[in-house]
Amino acid sequence: MSGKTHTYAFFLGCIAPNRYPGIEAAAIKTSRNLGIELVPLKGASCCPAPGAFGSIDLNVWYAMAARNLVLAEQMNTDITLICNGCYKSIWEVNHKLKHHDELRDNVNEVLKEIDMEFKGTIDVRHLIEIYYDKKICGVDKLADSVTSPLNGVKVAVHYGCHLLKPRKEREFEAEGVGDTENPMWMEELVAALGAEPVQYRNKMQCCGAGGGVRGYDIAHALDITNEKLINMSEVGADAITEGCPFCQLQFDRGQIEIGEKFGVEWAIPVLHFNELLGLAQGMSPQDLALDLHGISCEPFLNKLQ
Amino acid sequence: MAKAKGYSDENLSVRLADRYYRTDDASPDFLKNIEKIGMTIAHMCYQCGTCTGSCPSAPRSSYRIRKFVRRAVLGLENDALTDPDLWLCTTCYSCTDRCPRDIAPTDIIMAMRNLAFKRKIVPRNFLNTVQFIYKTGHGVPNNDVNRAARVKLGLEAEPETTAKYPEFIPGIQKILDHYGLKDEADEILSEGQ
Repeated sequence: MSGKTHTYAFFLGCIAPNRYPGIEAAAIKTSRNLGIELVPLKGASCCPAPGAFGSIDLNVWYAMAARNLVLAEQMNTDITLICNGCYKSIWEVNHKLKHHDELRDNVNEVLKEIDMEFKGTIDVRHLIEIYYDKKICGVDKLADSVTSPLNGVKVAVHYGCHLLKPRKEREFEAEGVGDTENPMWMEELVAALGAEPVQYRNKMQCCGAGGGVRGYDIAHALDITNEKLINMSEVGADAITEGCPFCQLQFDRGQIEIGEKFGVEWAIPVLHFNELLGLAQGMSPQDLALDLHGISCEPFLNKLQ
Repeated sequence: MAKAKGYSDENLSVRLADRYYRTDDASPDFLKNIEKIGMTIAHMCYQCGTCTGSCPSAPRSSYRIRKFVRRAVLGLENDALTDPDLWLCTTCYSCTDRCPRDIAPTDIIMAMRNLAFKRKIVPRNFLNTVQFIYKTGHGVPNNDVNRAARVKLGLEAEPETTAKYPEFIPGIQKILDHYGLKDEADEILSEGQ
């Protein structure tokens, strides 16, 4: 654990800055307390959404993601991000273009039209994976940054799909991150904040929103979400945490939609890991714009000892 | 399904009939195209069903990922691309994670969706995303409630993305136009369902 500052180009994505801005604010502030400086990536666009966009034309998905990567290459800075969907697009396209000459040439032919070239000079990491990486932060350093421990609450971790999968294609720098059947490293991070992480049935199941399904067949997507909510509530979760604003949207707005569509009432607060970390580092609910959440975070906040 | 071989001994021809499932409308290029677009080895599938068993969409619908992989291998292009279940994959990659043959069934679905789009078979919500991105750079654009909240947080009303720097949007439009994606989306949407 050095005192060195690590600087990253911060790829914002869409849902965090445009629906849950508290996540963006918290990510910048909480990371700074950990010696990680996030510089928002100027001119970035949608990653673009791997399911919604990749389903239509993967070549456009490659080219659009490559444009975002080139912006960071021009800064000569590695990218970090706070959304699993963005992570799939930006990490995977970076990896594919680095390893497939034909793909890279095709993409560069298009990028030439806007005076850009993908060179493959930077890396991409999810911020939560960086937090777990002892070389940069690690669980102990994270715990040391806590000023208001989240004691007395049970938190269910939703890893989300694209943080870890497809595993066979991914490479992780932090040790102990690879398991996709029953990973426990995010639980370690939650415990470092003082909260009690709980285990629940079928933990690694999808939130239901991905692949364009939320837009295509909302009832289908919500039924998947509802199954996860049942499993989380069985073990008494006071809140859900994740590293993906799209999963957050699905769980947060989804609980309201489930009430409307299925007549099943839920009220489990949903907090991005950076929001949780923000609370643990002493940020107020106002600092995190928790009032923008569909499901009130009050019961969770009131339960904190 | 079984096809007699046309041997002179009729009995042998029937007994040794080709039992590979081949229909007249099977497309021999379908598998090749899927393997190229999806960058995966679909032909290695031995139909174990681990994919369907891992699928969150299977228990609540008639969507069967194993069936789609079979259709890929057999060249049943029409069956696959016109099946509305094609759009029920959440791309969770659980099947890909567990496939004992190291196939990526999820990417087979993605390739099939790409091929369906070429035939103008695509749900409207996917096209709306294209239009949003063409116009704003974002799939989920900013709005006034959010701008006010951002300012209260000490952030700028517009994030440091194409929202704050619209001068980057023409570049994005050039990329989309290179593939004719926006025109295609507009056209399909104007034709209605």
